[in-house]
Amino acid sequence: MKRPLRLRLALRDLAVGFAFAAMAMSGQLPVWVLGVFIGALVLALCDVRLVARFSRLSALGLLVAAVLLGLQLTAGAMNAVVAACAFASLIAAQRMLSTPDAAAEGQTHLTGLLMVAGGAALSGDMTYALCLIAFGVLASLALALGVVEAAVPDGEPVPVRAVLRPLSVGVMFAVAGAVAFFVLFPRLNWAMVGPRSAPGFGAVSSAGYSNTVRLGGAGTIKGNPRVVLRATLTPDPGREALDAYWVGRTYDTFDGMEWTNVVGAQQTERQITLRPASDTLLHQRIELLPAYGARTLIALETPSRLGNAMAHTPTGTRNSPVQLQGGGEVRFTVTAPSYTYEAYSLPPDAKKGMSDGLVQAERDQLLALPEHLDARVAQLAAQVLQGEKEPLAAARKLATFLQRDYGYTLEQAGTPEDPLAEFLFVRKAGHCEHFATALTLMLRTQGIGARLATGFYGGARMDGGYLVRAGDAHAWTHVLVPGRGFVTVDATPPSNRTSQGSVLLEKVLALYEAVESRWRNSVVDYSFRDQFELASALVRPPRRAPGAPANEGPSRLPPPRAWVTAAVVAFVIWRAGRFVSRWTGRAPVLEATRFLDRVDTALQKAHVPRFEHETLEDLTTRLAREGHPLALALTPLTRRYLEARFGGRALREGEAEHLLATLRRALDAEASRRAVKPAGQAGPTARAS
Amino acid sequence: MKAPARPPLKARLRALLRPPRTLSVTKTGRTYLVVTFGVGLGALNTGNNLLYLLLGLLLSMVVVSGVLSERCLRDLTVRRVGADAAFAREPFAYRWAVSRKKGHGFALTFSEDLSPLTGTGKLGHLSAGKEHIVRADLAAPHRGPVRLSGVRVTTTWPLGLFAKTRVFSLEGTLLVYPRRGYACKEPGPAEKGPRGESGSPRHLDGTGDVAGLRELAPNEDARRIHWLKSAAAGRLLKVEREREERRIWKLALETGLTGDALERRCEEVAAQAHQLLDAGHEVGLQLPERALRPAAGASQERRILQALAWVGFEGVDAGTDSREAA
Repeated sequence: MKRPLRLRLALRDLAVGFAFAAMAMSGQLPVWVLGVFIGALVLALCDVRLVARFSRLSALGLLVAAVLLGLQLTAGAMNAVVAACAFASLIAAQRMLSTPDAAAEGQTHLTGLLMVAGGAALSGDMTYALCLIAFGVLASLALALGVVEAAVPDGEPVPVRAVLRPLSVGVMFAVAGAVAFFVLFPRLNWAMVGPRSAPGFGAVSSAGYSNTVRLGGAGTIKGNPRVVLRATLTPDPGREALDAYWVGRTYDTFDGMEWTNVVGAQQTERQITLRPASDTLLHQRIELLPAYGARTLIALETPSRLGNAMAHTPTGTRNSPVQLQGGGEVRFTVTAPSYTYEAYSLPPDAKKGMSDGLVQAERDQLLALPEHLDARVAQLAAQVLQGEKEPLAAARKLATFLQRDYGYTLEQAGTPEDPLAEFLFVRKAGHCEHFATALTLMLRTQGIGARLATGFYGGARMDGGYLVRAGDAHAWTHVLVPGRGFVTVDATPPSNRTSQGSVLLEKVLALYEAVESRWRNSVVDYSFRDQFELASALVRPPRRAPGAPANEGPSRLPPPRAWVTAAVVAFVIWRAGRFVSRWTGRAPVLEATRFLDRVDTALQKAHVPRFEHETLEDLTTRLAREGHPLALALTPLTRRYLEARFGGRALREGEAEHLLATLRRALDAEASRRAVKPAGQAGPTARAS
Repeated sequence: MKAPARPPLKARLRALLRPPRTLSVTKTGRTYLVVTFGVGLGALNTGNNLLYLLLGLLLSMVVVSGVLSERCLRDLTVRRVGADAAFAREPFAYRWAVSRKKGHGFALTFSEDLSPLTGTGKLGHLSAGKEHIVRADLAAPHRGPVRLSGVRVTTTWPLGLFAKTRVFSLEGTLLVYPRRGYACKEPGPAEKGPRGESGSPRHLDGTGDVAGLRELAPNEDARRIHWLKSAAAGRLLKVEREREERRIWKLALETGLTGDALERRCEEVAAQAHQLLDAGHEVGLQLPERALRPAAGASQERRILQALAWVGFEGVDAGTDSREAA
């Protein structure tokens, strides 16, 4: 066997690696599969073909893996598509490490293709597009080099450079063709159930977006720079950085370990009104990105109305009704990787005299304390407040105390039995949930109603809107102030409220998120409606210019872009026609030849005697020599045919018809001349035909 | 100038429907198409835009593959170089010369179209502007003239999904000599009488190496005079050469032989002729319809092989480009 080209094998393995990455980006593959594949890829790139030596062992390993995946599938611990993708990647790993013969080549490329298809089903991330293109390019190169290598005799070099140029042009055209197909092919959806795409790596399980907030978990969320929310505000504050609270939900019940709500799900509507609107509402158009990973609607403090939600699922965009939960939480009823919706919030100065919008059960819970609360909490609160009973003043006093005497840390020491006491009296350091819980419960011990709120804090300016990162996840306290409703008091030190990630990383990621947003809007969420709008935009007359006079009607003519589109389409059709006619390899039938065919047909119908293979020129010459009356009609006709066919003097319009009419008249005359029997001729005559 | 005779409708229809290239799907291509179909089905089922994108890429690759393979085959010029000698039932070296004016050709496979010759020649890369010789080891199943109608050029470039073939119409004949083997029978007795250098007392000299010079005797052949030495000596001197003991055989192919018997006899005669000619003897051949005068050397062996190759195929039209081995 010929020794295969190292470059080709490396390209093949890299292509399969990118195909695997297209799936792995979804974050749904088991960790052990990731490990096995990456190990195999590294070995393959180092040209270590382990399976060539241990083929039976590897086949046994595959069998074991198949059984494991099957068990997980039947136990409901794994999606069928994920299991199939995981198995495909294991087969790819095994094939990469086997002897690189023709069968292994084909199977490796096939599993790569299957993995890319699996990635499309599992992931909606923009990285999928990059992986897809990388796989397409590398796999094409590897296949092309393989084809050429098979035809190159042993010992001769493979012309890699010569292969690259035409192939790269071809791949570019293929990518352009893929985009054209994507844009133009009508979106059909038979709406069979498929797997849900995952938000990918970096998805947030933010505090406040599970059903509980549990103290003592790791606080690495603060370092996560993934963008979870984009918002366009009206009126636009115009500031570079917002110091605003984006509330998701509030909690009223604490059992010493975690926060919950006393009230469950309530009504489901297209739009939920939490509290009466004022004259001036702050409108927000919010997009929740896949990295958010929850179903709770987020809005600026204090939300009045939320709804008009659209869920962007892999099968298209659809309306999502919203459901009111306890603690003022509003949830989407449709699960999707991303959502867009509208929210209206009250401005900060509009809270006076506003009702708190609580049911009685919730109001009762505002002073509830855990059963085994450490007595020192109340003592500490009383010691700090020193008799202060006004809720807002007391809350601010306690917040100041906590910010001054307690440190901020994301490091946690396991899960203590009483995390609040641990924070207040032992470690004296914690993250926002500890600060907010401590403040809320210290207020409650003093008879002041309070609850915990979770959401995000901050917002960075980007493209005329604001974006919020996973690291901006935050918890704070709502203090019930008579006559004013709930007022936000934040016990967390101000410098630790926003994202703790690297600034450079945040900038890079912001750029990435902006591109990814475009990708999601124009690729993942592309729909039949978009196609229709694209088509109509090409032919819709232009709107009246802003400075144009009002009495001037819109143009009835199609816009220039419609003309350009028509010209482009006409050019493409013309080129395609040219290509097809050349491809068929047949010369176009000339007009003179058509004319000759018609003359031949007329002569044949009139039974003019003609030798086999006798040309029109020979026939005319012979008839003229014989003094045949048809020669008079045929001579000018033959001359014009020869001029038209070989002399470059084409037949004028109508000339062919005129010549043929003359010929037909001559033929008719000849036929009638034959029909008149000469005198003295008796009986029928036989005619050979 | 001949007016084109209009062929019948059926023939015209067939000509119209005949594709200029033939396309076959490779094993890899079949798998690719099945996966493409599956992806398309998945895209239609789920409406997943990424599957639509992948489907677009897969279909585009099929189109690009077609265009690139067409470009690969479009601008080719092929001619037969042929073979030095083609013996039945054994591989023989066969060559085609291929060139193109512009662009590149990749992964080209050459074979003879609609002929019993088996085997292909391969060319990995064909650059523009110079002629490449493609060599193949072909094999012919039987002796005789093989009618060649065209050269098939196939490429699986660029992705190996499809094998596109173009047939270059190129008439010709390849003459396949009888199978080489061993002669089991003796060739029979040599010719008797004063022929060549054997059995003639008057011919004392031969045609071998120079033995010396002697004065020309009366009535001796003047063609052996060494004029330079004669001028120097002042008398006519003749070159004497060593006499070789060459003899003459006249092999004969019996009439009335057909089928396997004829084949076996042709092979035997060819083997005998080869043996005798190799030993330096002169060999002639008596065929049912013609005869070859005895002669020696490699060219005589070729003449004998050609004559034997044509036995039984006398009525066959050799074609427009009748050549011995191409």
